[in-house]
Amino acid sequence: MSDLDDFKATYFDECSELLTELEEQFAAIEAGERDADRLNAVFRAIHSIKGGAGAFGFSALVGFAHAYETLLDYVRDGRIEMSDDVVTLCIRANDIVADHVKAAQTGEALPADYGMDEKERFDALARGDAAAGDDEGGDPLDEFDIEFTPVMVNLDAPEAPAAMAAGEAPVDDAFDSAPMQIEPGHWEVRFTPHRALYARANDPLLLFRELAALGEMHVRAVLEEIPPLSDFEPFAVYCSWEITMISSSLTEAMIREVFEFVEGDCDIAVAQLGSAAVGFDIPPAPEPVVAPPKAAAKPTMSDEPDPADLLALADDEVASLLDFSGDKDVAPEPQFAPEPEPAPVSVQDSFEEPPSLSFAELAETIQPSPIAKPPAPVAVAAAPVRVAPPAAPSEGEESGGNRSVGVQSIRVDLDKVDRVVNMVGELVITQSMLTQQMDETLRARYTELVRGLEVLAQTTRGLQDSVMAIRAQPVKSVFSRMPRLVRELATKTGKKIKLETIGENTEIDKTVIEQLSDPLTHMIRNSADHGIETPDKRLGRGKNETGTIRLSAEQAGGNILIIVEDDGGGINRERVLQVARDKGVVAPDINPTDEQIDQLIFAPGFSTASEVSDISGRGVGMDVVLSNIKKIGGSVHVRSWTGKGTRMTLRLPLTLAVLDVMLVKVGESPYVVPLSSIVETIQCSRASFERVPSGGQVLQVRGEYVQVIDLAQRFEMVTETDPENRFVVLCEAEGSAKVALIVDDIIGQQQVVIKSLEENFERVDGIAGGTILGDGNVALIVDVQGLKTTIVHKNAA
Amino acid sequence: MTTLRVLTVDDSRTILAMLHHTLSNAGFEVLQAEDGKQGLDVLKTETVDVVITDINMPVMDGIEFIKNVRATGNHQSLPILILTTETSQDKRDQGKAAGGTGWIVKPFDPEKLISVIHRVVH
Repeated sequence: MSDLDDFKATYFDECSELLTELEEQFAAIEAGERDADRLNAVFRAIHSIKGGAGAFGFSALVGFAHAYETLLDYVRDGRIEMSDDVVTLCIRANDIVADHVKAAQTGEALPADYGMDEKERFDALARGDAAAGDDEGGDPLDEFDIEFTPVMVNLDAPEAPAAMAAGEAPVDDAFDSAPMQIEPGHWEVRFTPHRALYARANDPLLLFRELAALGEMHVRAVLEEIPPLSDFEPFAVYCSWEITMISSSLTEAMIREVFEFVEGDCDIAVAQLGSAAVGFDIPPAPEPVVAPPKAAAKPTMSDEPDPADLLALADDEVASLLDFSGDKDVAPEPQFAPEPEPAPVSVQDSFEEPPSLSFAELAETIQPSPIAKPPAPVAVAAAPVRVAPPAAPSEGEESGGNRSVGVQSIRVDLDKVDRVVNMVGELVITQSMLTQQMDETLRARYTELVRGLEVLAQTTRGLQDSVMAIRAQPVKSVFSRMPRLVRELATKTGKKIKLETIGENTEIDKTVIEQLSDPLTHMIRNSADHGIETPDKRLGRGKNETGTIRLSAEQAGGNILIIVEDDGGGINRERVLQVARDKGVVAPDINPTDEQIDQLIFAPGFSTASEVSDISGRGVGMDVVLSNIKKIGGSVHVRSWTGKGTRMTLRLPLTLAVLDVMLVKVGESPYVVPLSSIVETIQCSRASFERVPSGGQVLQVRGEYVQVIDLAQRFEMVTETDPENRFVVLCEAEGSAKVALIVDDIIGQQQVVIKSLEENFERVDGIAGGTILGDGNVALIVDVQGLKTTIVHKNAA
Repeated sequence: MTTLRVLTVDDSRTILAMLHHTLSNAGFEVLQAEDGKQGLDVLKTETVDVVITDINMPVMDGIEFIKNVRATGNHQSLPILILTTETSQDKRDQGKAAGGTGWIVKPFDPEKLISVIHRVVH
């Protein structure tokens, strides 16, 4: 059933968000922030997961989540203390919930006793508390176990709509097994609607219908307030009602729930009477609630215009409440015939001759349930059973759940956002194309048009920023998983490690964030495993025995920098180089610089761990980092200080879609260079090149030698430009080393929408992707970092 | 019993789909709109028995939508149910103040959804 699958997909999306939220919350809780907001957020997350699981019938998940939720509920209201033990148990429970969710998603079965130990501990905790003077009686969790039956929602065949008011007698297990302690008796309800009740399309009749489903009901209309016609305001409300309910299982909450929607729009007083007492002056021999069917109950004045119109009670049954059938002769009608609203007149008329009238006599019983018509007595008997259980729990859970915390948000399909992102991208291009088309003559002639274009440019930029902001998410969602990783790593390695996180509110594109988790995990594992030394060693080196890994995120221009830094031993370059030579990654006659050696840890298949470490994986760690990061248009750089530590920097694009670039010409073809990597541009005639013995060229910039890459040469393009007229584009790839690209011409700056080359063609070294320019030409995006590494590898090989 | 017509207004396709599924299975005729403005447009030409609307929507939110519906002469007694994930009292109150008849809390249980509709429809 594809609908259900769709709904499920939505549910699993939500679960993954909620599980992330749990991680975040527990990271803070662990750090000592155990305030009510966090506990509520945790409770809500588990509650939501349980709720959805119930709808889809994932009973194992429901069972576990329920026990967990109960524990959280106790913690929340202070019955159980949030001790470190409980925190640890909860963190373990989060994993179990996640596993259950995963199992539900993949359809794999978990062992039947999965999570049982934890569940038992929840129970034990709850029991311990119950014994400590809580008067609820019995074991709360067991009680829940009995009472709780997962709501299996059958989306194909929902219960008949009429179930509400109708007479089926659904058996409610919860109710049967845990009968409520209710005194049998009579209730009286005085109900005075305000005008607002009608203005919001509520209708007393519908309320009576619901009340009638709860038990035996007598309704009396209170008409004393109805003024003479001369004072009658068409939209005013004059009528109120006195209702007597007789049912042994009725509670005030059940009655109040009927009036849930009109709370505040009416005065409502509910009072319980003694079991035998009758609250209002109902007729001495109350007519059975099971009134004659609708037709028979019709008012005798039914051929008159409906008096209820005036009271906004557009129903003939309400009219029957106003019906003075017994006093027809007292309210002679013809006399008022010319009046447009005869009925209220007759009411008024009745009032003007009160002596002959008792309002009790005017009272009418109301016929319940016009929807489906099973015999009403069944409804009376069955309805309380049906109505009661939802009433109490839903109130409790919802108000307790308190979802008000958090940002108001809507859930939008990512596809929808991406469509917008793409269209905005195209808009950006069109806008820049239009701007390009405006030459000086046109600018001078059409000043209005120019102004319009300027506004368009501004708006487009604003639109683009807004759209990107939609896709942006704080890196917190990834960072929050790391404290736990570090803790586990510390335990496994016997090291003492502390994690610091900085800038976790920095926002990055959602897709980037999703791709960030694995690389970051690898990097932190690497730091913990290879970087941080054992406590003894650290003490020996005069360091604090606790090592620190610092994880930070910051925005730098069009990029986000994610830095993993440790204060460990640094990269053992000798060993790295040795391994690299052994594995043939570096040729024997090449002597890479320290910086180049450091980067070798990202080379495919490279691993210095002599034996496979349980932690850092099987030697497929860091090269995976590099390829993952490249996939999302980022780069990695590592820098190490022997004995002091290592810093790995991920440079990630803010967004995947649009890039600020410099448009250049190589040969006759347009290329674009990401603006974020450009340091400066220099005319070749003014640049000082120097040859180096290996045959290459370097450029001297302010005393620094920079490697030169002639793009025409590199991409095998023919160039006829006079070397003097060419340009140097000085770029800074990740890290300190710059690279000088030689291009034939510089055309200008613009924004482009990145199109993947791999998806449309294949991966090309030195090219990060393609883009379509305003004039329709395709330009390739130069991958500065890629160019550089290619060169290094060439040298190395 | 004549078929009841329900107008569902929500910007989430998933919610609209779930509502449609649940309501049409229960025998309702379902009309859809993705925001308040579209909802008003539907009401200009169509007669419905009940409206179910989300609150947080682009273009025109649920509160504004309800106010507009109530301001229209012939829709004063049209029951409007507010569909909301927020159980917070103030969202409900805002919706009620604007003229909402009742509310449904997401995620809704189909049975409950139907029963709430029948609480406000004749």
